[in-house]
Amino acid sequence: MSALELHGVVKVYGEGAAEVNALRGVDLRVDSGELVAVMGPSGSGKSTLLTIAGSLEQPTAGEVWVGGQALATMSRNERSRIRRRSVGYVFQDFNLLAGLTAAENVALPLELDGVGAKAARAIGLQALDELGLRDRASRFPDELSGGERQRVAIARAVVGDRHLLLADEPSGALDSVNGEAVIRLIHTACRRGVAGVVVTHDAQLASWADRVIFLRDGKIVDQTSPLPGPESLLTSDHAQ
Amino acid sequence: MSTSVLQPRATKRAANGGAPARRAIARWAWRLFRRQWRQQVLILTLLVLAIAATTVGLGLVTQTVAARSRATLGTANTRVTIARPGGEVDSDIAAARHAFGTVDVIESQNVAIPGSVSTIELRAQDPNGPYGHVMLRLDAGRYPSGAKEVAVTSRVARIFNQHIGSTWRVNGRSLHVVGLVENPADLQDSFALVAANQVTSPSSLSLLINADQQTLQSFHPPSANGVDIERRSASETLSAEATVLGMTTIGLLFVGLLAAGGFAVLAGRRQRALGMLGSLGATDRHVRLVMLANGAVVGVVGAVLGAALGLACWLAFSPATEHLLEHRFDRFDLPWSTIGLALILAVLTSVGAAWWPAQASARVSIVTAISGRPPRPQPARRFATLAGALLVAGPGLLVLSDQRAPALIVTGIIATALGVLLLAPLTIQALAGVADRSPIGVRLALRDLARYQARSGAALAAITLAIGIAATIAISAAVSEAKTAAVTGGNLPNNEIVVYLSADDGGPVPQLTPAQVQAAQRRVSAAAALVGTHDILELDQAFNPASPETADPISGVTGKSGAAMARGHPVGGGFEFSLSAPLYVATPALLSHYGIRPDQVDPTADILSSRSDLAGQTLLIEGAKGPRGGIPPKIQHLPLPRYASDPNTLITSYAMHRFDLHSAPVAWLIHAPERLTPAQVDAASKLASRDGLTIETRPTQQSLTELRNDATAVGILVALGVLAMTVGLIRSESAGDLRTLTATGASRTTRRTLTGATAGALAMLGGLLGTAGAYLALIAWYHRNLHPFTHVPVLDILALVLVLPLVAVIAGWLLAGREPTATARHPLE
Repeated sequence: MSALELHGVVKVYGEGAAEVNALRGVDLRVDSGELVAVMGPSGSGKSTLLTIAGSLEQPTAGEVWVGGQALATMSRNERSRIRRRSVGYVFQDFNLLAGLTAAENVALPLELDGVGAKAARAIGLQALDELGLRDRASRFPDELSGGERQRVAIARAVVGDRHLLLADEPSGALDSVNGEAVIRLIHTACRRGVAGVVVTHDAQLASWADRVIFLRDGKIVDQTSPLPGPESLLTSDHAQ
Repeated sequence: MSTSVLQPRATKRAANGGAPARRAIARWAWRLFRRQWRQQVLILTLLVLAIAATTVGLGLVTQTVAARSRATLGTANTRVTIARPGGEVDSDIAAARHAFGTVDVIESQNVAIPGSVSTIELRAQDPNGPYGHVMLRLDAGRYPSGAKEVAVTSRVARIFNQHIGSTWRVNGRSLHVVGLVENPADLQDSFALVAANQVTSPSSLSLLINADQQTLQSFHPPSANGVDIERRSASETLSAEATVLGMTTIGLLFVGLLAAGGFAVLAGRRQRALGMLGSLGATDRHVRLVMLANGAVVGVVGAVLGAALGLACWLAFSPATEHLLEHRFDRFDLPWSTIGLALILAVLTSVGAAWWPAQASARVSIVTAISGRPPRPQPARRFATLAGALLVAGPGLLVLSDQRAPALIVTGIIATALGVLLLAPLTIQALAGVADRSPIGVRLALRDLARYQARSGAALAAITLAIGIAATIAISAAVSEAKTAAVTGGNLPNNEIVVYLSADDGGPVPQLTPAQVQAAQRRVSAAAALVGTHDILELDQAFNPASPETADPISGVTGKSGAAMARGHPVGGGFEFSLSAPLYVATPALLSHYGIRPDQVDPTADILSSRSDLAGQTLLIEGAKGPRGGIPPKIQHLPLPRYASDPNTLITSYAMHRFDLHSAPVAWLIHAPERLTPAQVDAASKLASRDGLTIETRPTQQSLTELRNDATAVGILVALGVLAMTVGLIRSESAGDLRTLTATGASRTTRRTLTGATAGALAMLGGLLGTAGAYLALIAWYHRNLHPFTHVPVLDILALVLVLPLVAVIAGWLLAGREPTATARHPLE
């Protein structure tokens, strides 16, 4: 079963003269453990693809399936539950909630899903620990660096039983070192079985993906499996 | 570094997160409140002030109302006063004890004040009496205990030049002054207190009792003289509390409208964070809960701080108001349950104010919210439809109520007010629609009002409410002015003054010496000279010389009870009379004044009157023999004046002889050549007051004019206050546009125009809507007689619809113009 499937997805904004076709019949399938990078020029529909895949908006036409469930047949509350339990988002500008500590930000989707505060916090701390942020758990977002904030956002996106990670320019506001660290984390998450879709302009970061798709004017114009990325040098085959 | 997909323990979870989710949201809302409290200071301040004012108001009103009955009833529920018990005091008391059980006895005797027609009371009362102990407080010395001791109030001590330790000769007795006392429930109560049973031949006997209506009706005191019964009204305090709560509700509605604007701004600033929350899987209910929890936090904090401030003010300032309100306060006897209700109202107001922005936030799509773009405002026609329905229903209910049915009146007023307030978004959209041809500053200002409709609509509604209330008062006052300007009806013609010796007509007939009468006539002549006339007519009243003396409760003037027309109602074993008309003596001068020739008077008529409502009424003559229900007189109708306070009912010389009545002057009618001016009335009133007289005139309308002008001024000030508080909030959302404008070379004038036009547009729309709403409601209220509406308070209306916007524009222009700070993106809040 695929983690994410899009069939003939069309998205039109506006009406009449103001009509914009953001997506024109996009088909996409992402399997568990697979990392897909989405590239394309500005206005090509990359972010729209991501928001529709994550049930943040509804397509004008076509079908979206997440974890084998069709989003079109779901109520608003059911789609909210999908986002709490199955889909994790990472945005470009570190969308952590001010007023909540790093640990509370990570635990928030669990608490929204009914997990008690204490249990959710324990899981959140474990997630931060695994990302090397344990000592930052009690800090508020404005007390963290950019790289730390994005790592906390990734922890929040994968915490719980998530099997789909959607990242919109996750390294766009970071320097190259932090940017690479972030994509490495996403890559690692995918190796653990999470399906990942990353929108990026950066070919270097896209090289971490198992597959790269190119969007132009709302259509997938190319789709490729890139050459093994720099991490491949670390694998045993190359070492030999 | 490695990460894994972390899984919570498998537990049964509520479909939408249940309590853990709500707790998480509430925690975040609380943290946001702590981080952003400065942005909510305005809402908090208004709530704090409203609750503080309510706390103090409830304390003042409930204790003042309670003091009114405590002053005469103590803790009893009934006071039975028996006039002239004579030698049957003991048997009256014994009968009362037999009927009611515990009885607290107060015996009274009048003591003349030398050189005055007023008296003070010599009171025999037990300071530890079961019901009356709260009517006494010892200020100095001690309570009297023997037959020759007395304690006096400070006023009595001043009048009779007494002090503790002095000896006072009163009513033929020498009394040693041992203390200073007061009635803490009525500081104007002037009396001298002697020990219980130490008044010889009391003029009245008061019995404080707790009795039900049935037992009371079966009580017949042996002395069988006039019995006056005073009962505690249980509903009085409740209605006073309800009045304060009603005013609090109106105040909180106003605060709520402002708070709704403030919360809308706050929701706008949190839009991206709320979108983020949605992307994490929060349901619409969770998103709403963020704002609602914030509203609840603001409400609770505001209510608690307001109550604390109110209590502090109450404890600090209530002693200073004791002499103003003429009673002592028990600082810790507050209506706590009603105050608690006000606090709950404050929290509900705050939560209610947050509901609208909360709903709007939940409706915004997650993508729009995260992008930070302002959501598209709701179509104004939705509000317009509802407003239209309410504006038909509200005035319709007012018409149906016919000024009588309270439920229809309250519903009608609320529906009309809501209808007008709901027009706010429509008028804002309409104004923005006509902005195309205006200069860039005005055009942007008007379009921004429409773009940020949630907050501008709330601000406009608050202004409309303030102006609506002011306009309602101003127009009502104008209607009243128009009515009193009518040539007929009312108490007196507008060129007459009646000068009374007593506090009012219907008071006792003072028994003055010829010298005192002459002195009074001189004072009346002086008052007449002030209004430029010598046309004075003496008004005499008939009385039974055998009747006992009574005292006017207001002026303290003593005299004989005047003969009067009255309607008797059987009560218990006797009759209770409600006076209908004082009877002036039909002297030749009075008859001649009204053009009535002596041969027109029926020689066997007792009463001459222009009134048609005297049928079934009887002639009440104190101390006269005759039926207990009064004497049925023969009434002749003659063209006497129809004004209520003019001598419209006269007793003939035939009746005077028939009932052995005497007459004495009680008042003088001054007839001025022209309508009296407010200044003339003021001058005459001051003169009369100085000389211990009372005057009555037709209402001069000055008070109505002052009320009108005051209401208009207060309305304008409140509206300007709202504008000062909200225009900044409204403009803050378009700070980015301002930066763009500045970057493209817009001058300071353009920036000033933006703020001035925003303030002016809101003020103008508020003025128009408020005034139109007030007229709509009042026309429905006075629908039976719309003629007074031709008397338009032009200056007040112009002030509300023209001066207010002008002042708003000028103030906005002067206070704006600063160059915007070049900040980068707003951080996510």
